Amino acid sequence: MLSFLNIVIVGLLLGGIYGLVSMGLNLIFGVIRIVNFSQGELVMLGMYGAYLSWFFLGLDPYLSSIIVVPLLFLLGVVLQRFILQPLQNEPFMQIFATFGLLMFFQNLVLAITGGTGYSVRSAASSAVITMGEINVSLPRLIVLIAVIVVALGLNWFVTHTMPGKAVRAVTQDRRSARLMGINVELAFMLTFGAGAALAGLAGVMLAPIYTLSPQIGGNFILAAFAVVVLGGLGSVWGAFFGGFIIGLVEAFAGYYFDPALKHAIWFLIFIIVLIVRPGGLFGIAGAEEMGLREQD
Amino acid sequence: MNEQIILSVQNLTMHFGGLVAVGDMSFDLQKGDLLSIIGPNGAGKTTLFNLLTGQLQPTSGEVVFRGEDISALAPQERAQIGFGRTFQISKTLTSLTALENAMVGAFLHRRSLAEASEYAMEILDMVGLAHRADVKAGILTLSERRRLEIARALALDCSVLLLDEVMAGLNQKEVESVIELVRKLHADGLTVLVIEHNLKVVRAFENRVIVMDFGQLIADGTPEEVLSDPDVMEAYLGRKSA
Amino acid sequence: MSKIDQQEAGAPAAPGRSSPHVTRLRTELGRIAAIAAVFGAAITFWQGDPFILNIMAYTFLFGALASSWNIIGGFGGQFSLGHGVFFAIGGYTTANLYFHWQISPWLSLIPAMILAMLVAVLVSWPTFRLKGPFFAIATLALNEVALVLANYFDTLTGGPRGMMLPFNAGLANMVFTSRLPYAVLMLGFLIVCLVVGAMVLRSRLGYYLQAVHIDEDAARAAGIDVLRVKLSGMAVSAALTGIGGSLFAMYLRFVDPPTLLSIQDIGVKFLLIALIGGVGTLYGPLAGALLIIPLEFHLRATLGGMLPGANLLILGALLVIFSLFMRRGVVGAGQALWARYRRTKNE
Repeated sequence: MLSFLNIVIVGLLLGGIYGLVSMGLNLIFGVIRIVNFSQGELVMLGMYGAYLSWFFLGLDPYLSSIIVVPLLFLLGVVLQRFILQPLQNEPFMQIFATFGLLMFFQNLVLAITGGTGYSVRSAASSAVITMGEINVSLPRLIVLIAVIVVALGLNWFVTHTMPGKAVRAVTQDRRSARLMGINVELAFMLTFGAGAALAGLAGVMLAPIYTLSPQIGGNFILAAFAVVVLGGLGSVWGAFFGGFIIGLVEAFAGYYFDPALKHAIWFLIFIIVLIVRPGGLFGIAGAEEMGLREQD
Repeated sequence: MNEQIILSVQNLTMHFGGLVAVGDMSFDLQKGDLLSIIGPNGAGKTTLFNLLTGQLQPTSGEVVFRGEDISALAPQERAQIGFGRTFQISKTLTSLTALENAMVGAFLHRRSLAEASEYAMEILDMVGLAHRADVKAGILTLSERRRLEIARALALDCSVLLLDEVMAGLNQKEVESVIELVRKLHADGLTVLVIEHNLKVVRAFENRVIVMDFGQLIADGTPEEVLSDPDVMEAYLGRKSA
Repeated sequence: MSKIDQQEAGAPAAPGRSSPHVTRLRTELGRIAAIAAVFGAAITFWQGDPFILNIMAYTFLFGALASSWNIIGGFGGQFSLGHGVFFAIGGYTTANLYFHWQISPWLSLIPAMILAMLVAVLVSWPTFRLKGPFFAIATLALNEVALVLANYFDTLTGGPRGMMLPFNAGLANMVFTSRLPYAVLMLGFLIVCLVVGAMVLRSRLGYYLQAVHIDEDAARAAGIDVLRVKLSGMAVSAALTGIGGSLFAMYLRFVDPPTLLSIQDIGVKFLLIALIGGVGTLYGPLAGALLIIPLEFHLRATLGGMLPGANLLILGALLVIFSLFMRRGVVGAGQALWARYRRTKNE
């Protein structure tokens, strides 16, 4: 019983991590309909940003978000403006370009660091919260809280604020939104910026948990794809719950099968969901891209 | 069953949720007929067309082709048994040449490149595009693309040609030349079904017309009969002028 | 008058040529023979230089693999990131048969090819329901599953430590003491891939693949069974990729999961080369390999020591630049320049 509970806790904490890294990807896909293969590298850049702030400025990694998040926002705006906007109607070229960015960022960091692994220390790093027989590391709990806050915040933003409503209008019908006087290009730039900023935030939050390596983004991108496909592309709560589903599957598969196979198992689940319910478990956003919607 | 009936629509019904897009339509198409189906926007013409081409599966009712129920067949299967179609928003293969577009149709019953290209060239000649054979479909004019779609359908050796608003967006001169082409094909013995919004076009064909409104068949006859029908005038023109 | 119209419209066909034109297979075979002759001469010229021969072997091999990918990815428009899986199946099949039963790699090309084709058809059957980026994601995930499985089932793959294949030189074993026969072998494979590519492109399947690529609804209206056409293209593409994996295994005489299944060095490399050269053209992938592979060797030799990953860094940047400014690759750009030259000359 105890081990079962432990696995659930481990799974939920993992789910928080996966959910957090998926939020930005999901936002970008939901609004701009671009599958950003380089999203994992943006998370990785966020982690290195936290390291640099810690190393040079002595900032606690959580505090470094005040520097890292705006910088990634800017990077996102630049990427959207100069690379993705020109490819707006070229889905195949978007795959090439964002994969090129993936290779570029990953190997840029590799070339600079020479592949040395770094780790970031926070005051919270080694703190453990004990609840009865169960131990929870504080950094992982912080991630869990962060994903809840981000999901609630995003949801509030798109339903209750004017810019959020504008974004939803753009998502639903680009042409009409344009006619209503919404600057679609600007909305896309800000959205991509926000997606990149969320990746940066995830990176900062994860920096105290993982050893930093240039390839670490690769661990996140497929998980994030799995999460958003599972949850329903473009749906905030879909990504939120999708993260927990993947986290729990991984925790249980790791315990009951073999830790080495846990990735294969959730990849397979992911592929099955992608095929059986391409719209995900929580929505059919993106259905037109997959040809589900009847053409009129 | 009358042997001359090539296509028969029987109690065809299509619901989208609560909306009845096509309600209990029945009509027959004789071999060698030229039938026009008209109706105002939202009358269910496109839905009917999609039911005929296999894009949609009906809620109930049947599409019978040469005595066999083909309601469950997919679009490509219908093409294989003799349906040729065009698209309302033209779907030529833009990065292939006009000749290659027609070849894609010709390959259905011809395996070799030489046979397919030769036959495709004949078809292009028939629709008046022979001089544009080497041009990429993407840079053809709209009326040329419409002809090319007809060519692709003809290259399938289709026995029924279904034209979906093939005149839309064309100017008067182009419309006349397409009408002339369709008449010629019909005169050569092809069975043609035209879905049209444009009333003038229907008058030009001087053949049988079916009028649809709110998913129902409201009139069936010659253009003169149909256009003098008060129901049609009210349904079609009444709302159009409003 | 109409002749002028044609020129104005940018007709790619040369004005003045009266009869409409479809390139026949015979024409392509002539071109491929010329390519074979040129590369054969290059091998003869550099036969004493193992460094150059090594680069040539890699160039021919990756030109061949990118050409194979191009059959489904370029002609058919199905952007698979998972071709590493079929490559690895070929590599592991040949390695196992040679390692455990001393079966000649020449013979094991057949099971390698068949197995790659079978797996490709089985996994593509469901995944071909997905379009565009979703197909790419699914195939990327597939590659990752294969990587996990290759590390896990070490009796078949040697696990993370890999399999070292014994050095028993001889033609029957496809193991040679010099690089020269390998360069010839890879050139042979390249020619096979080009010929198969030409046979596909200049046939019904090629036109059907292109039709499916451009517009699936239009393809269906032309009586094309879209799924069957995609599966046929994938089967041909995967079979060739499997053979490539076998040859690669014998060239390195070593296989391990990253060598065969690295997404950046294998799976994505195929489409990267095809993009740089010209996706969907018959000779584009070869042109891409001629540019990329020597460039990579050069980068690794000059920068590799100081800056690990510098080659991939530059390839990543090239990928972005080509997708922005030269999406039809060097072959496409060349064709555009040629067409413009012909037009200005005719004015």
